[in-house]
Amino acid sequence: MLAFRSEAHVDRWCSARRVPRGASFSLEQAWQLGRAWYADKLSPDWRRASPAQAEAVFASIGLVGDFWRLA
Amino acid sequence: MTTGSLDRDTRLFVYEHFLAQGRPPTIDEVAAGLSIDAAEVEVSFGRLEESHVLVFAPGTRNIWMANPLSAFPTPFRVETPLGSYWGSCIWDAFGIVAMLGGTGVVLTSCADCGEEMTLRVKDRALDSVEGVAHFAVPARNWWDDIGYT
Repeated sequence: MLAFRSEAHVDRWCSARRVPRGASFSLEQAWQLGRAWYADKLSPDWRRASPAQAEAVFASIGLVGDFWRLA
Repeated sequence: MTTGSLDRDTRLFVYEHFLAQGRPPTIDEVAAGLSIDAAEVEVSFGRLEESHVLVFAPGTRNIWMANPLSAFPTPFRVETPLGSYWGSCIWDAFGIVAMLGGTGVVLTSCADCGEEMTLRVKDRALDSVEGVAHFAVPARNWWDDIGYT
């Protein structure tokens, strides 16, 4: 997952590498994703999220649709 | 020691060592730290790899990623009050900040044009900044090649 200055830069990067457009979203959502996924990573009780739990995390920050399905 | 508690202790030791030393531990270092045999650590590493907790450099038992931390330099440098680390991607870079208390700076650049991007987080809030993140690979395929998502 990479960072870009704008959607136009994503388009240019994908076009230059013949990579199909994936999913793009705001850096604020990327921060929320990092926070939701890793804030408790150092806890002794940490458990890897199940596919359903992971999809719930994605949905909680507005990342929905087939691209984000794991199950 | 049960399998579950061994894997938990191995995982926690790996992260504590990684954060303190700026690099992941070897099998022997984990064994010494936990006062167990290296063979037990190797088996635990195998289970942690299988469950996608640790990622090893291909063909080795050298830790490549203990997400969100990367053992090798990447385009995502993260500075925190605890130290400076590499994140595997922008998600993981922010994850390092979150994991270490919610204050830090991600130093990266636009993957297209190379312009530097400095992303500051303070007290769990990201400073307003222009830009987007992009995933090239759908979620269900991330672990087909976790080095490229």
